[in-house]
Amino acid sequence: MHINYWAEVNKDKFGRAGLVMVILLVAIALLAPWLAPYNPWEYAGPPLSSPSWQHPLGTNDVGQDIWSELLYGTRTTLLISISAAAFSTLLGLILGLLAGIYRGVVERIILRLVDVMLVIPVFLIALLVAAYFKPGTTTLIILFSLLLWPPGTRIIWTRVLSIKNQEHFTSARQFGAGTFYLTWRHLIPELYPLLTVSFIQVVRRAVFMEAGLAFLGVFDPVAKSWGLMLHYAREFIFTGAWKWWLLPPALAVSFTITAFALVGYALEAVLDPRLRRQTYAGN
Amino acid sequence: MKKRLGDYLLALVIILALNFILPRLMPGEPITAIYGDALVEMTAEMEAYLLERYGLDRPLGEQFMVYLGNLARGDLGYSFYFRAPVSEVLANALPWTLLLVGTSLVTAAVLGIIWGVESGWRRGQKFDRLSLSAALFLNGIPGFVLAILLLLALGFYGQWFPLSGGTSPFPGHSAMARAVDILWHLFLPALTLTLAQLPRNFLLMRSTFLGVIKEPYVLTARSKGIKERMIRYRHCLRSALPPVVTRLGMSIGLLFTGVLFVEVVFAYPGLGHLFYLALQHHDYPTVHGCLLLITVCVLVFNLLADLISIKLDPRLKEDAHQLLG
Repeated sequence: MHINYWAEVNKDKFGRAGLVMVILLVAIALLAPWLAPYNPWEYAGPPLSSPSWQHPLGTNDVGQDIWSELLYGTRTTLLISISAAAFSTLLGLILGLLAGIYRGVVERIILRLVDVMLVIPVFLIALLVAAYFKPGTTTLIILFSLLLWPPGTRIIWTRVLSIKNQEHFTSARQFGAGTFYLTWRHLIPELYPLLTVSFIQVVRRAVFMEAGLAFLGVFDPVAKSWGLMLHYAREFIFTGAWKWWLLPPALAVSFTITAFALVGYALEAVLDPRLRRQTYAGN
Repeated sequence: MKKRLGDYLLALVIILALNFILPRLMPGEPITAIYGDALVEMTAEMEAYLLERYGLDRPLGEQFMVYLGNLARGDLGYSFYFRAPVSEVLANALPWTLLLVGTSLVTAAVLGIIWGVESGWRRGQKFDRLSLSAALFLNGIPGFVLAILLLLALGFYGQWFPLSGGTSPFPGHSAMARAVDILWHLFLPALTLTLAQLPRNFLLMRSTFLGVIKEPYVLTARSKGIKERMIRYRHCLRSALPPVVTRLGMSIGLLFTGVLFVEVVFAYPGLGHLFYLALQHHDYPTVHGCLLLITVCVLVFNLLADLISIKLDPRLKEDAHQLLG
């Protein structure tokens, strides 16, 4: 497959919008300390003040600057979702390769596990674990990585099986290439596009899950996260503060999910118009 | 199908095991993790009674057997916040959740199917392009954000709908007044959940429908001069429906996740709201019971959906696991 995927995604109107949005988010996350006027963990002004020149989005109930919180929230969201996506895609790759290469018992066990995991509502399990362990960033990354790998694994497994029947693969094998060489040089490069798609899908789900858990209040209470902002702001929902305290993080979450979804759709369309999106038990 | 049933059974076992092992992984005695803050106001006799009844001082293997035995009898422990057995508290909340889930599932399915058919029929036209953009946009808004927005717009500023709860304190005496009251409270939560599912149903229906209208029999029907609407709904929809129903069934897990948030935002008296209350008051037996019941609901409904889609499309029977996975 010798297509420049990103160039193709860039040609698609929605895809380009998504790319721009993602780049913007990454830039905000990286530059948060320079963009934020205050340290979001410190007292910055009278609590619950309305937007002003000093505080573009006002302050929260303990006097922290909401605009700075919002900027730092980007960091938390992207850190958790991108790491979780990287780890779970890696896990999916390893299991998918194992199942596709070794077949037999290994394959049966892995596929069975995938089927069972796809039946379990992932978010509810995350909630159950989180309710007991009051997770911080690291715990959430581990938790999401362990829960979100199955859909990717199944797609990778299917693809590995079809590559194994292609001529370049069989001829390489007949020339005496070993399993490791075949995997490294012939399987993994062909899997890149699928891995990217599955990576982006996991990012999107992880953004939702992180925001959801924090919204329900099961997240490190001092972390700066959009979900947590929503959680705290909800108590003041009928005061009018929702316009600058509740709405911005709500829009930020939607913006992030949409950004990754748009890139994902465009990428899928480029790779294979027939590639149908997987639906699973829980988001 | 046997394999599929096995999947569900295994999933149930994993969920039960997780539910069992998590509180026992916590530092300290299991009773501390299971009952949490309630221990402070518990008498020594009460504590001893709970230890005995739930076998909390016995080896882990035995505890698990006791746990399963209690579950089989419907004994999920005692809620110290609600001052009632957990099973009773759950039984009060479950009908509300099912009402909400059922209503929104049906409306979202019907609306999504009609929208998808109409949009797919006009493929590439303005209506179709607008619908696609709208669906992509709507799909990016998480359910709890949607709930908050609707609550503010229609409940708080519009004041057309109640802000919270499932009934008014004094709805009136007649059955009619009570039914109207329940529906009135149901409207906003159900609308939120419907809107949250709609884009997915729409995209699904549209893409399946596009695959079907290329079939030769559609051309035949057209050349016979059958009315367009008949072709859309009698011919195309019928053959496009089975895969859509399968996918709808698989999205039930998402629906039960969504209902959790919606109930929290609208303080709707179902399982999600109950879960949230219990979580805030560290009432762990109830937290536990809620999540277990919701998860089991998801499994049961998924299984039902699997069975229905096999009924609709017998071809699924042979390699059900391949197509459904």
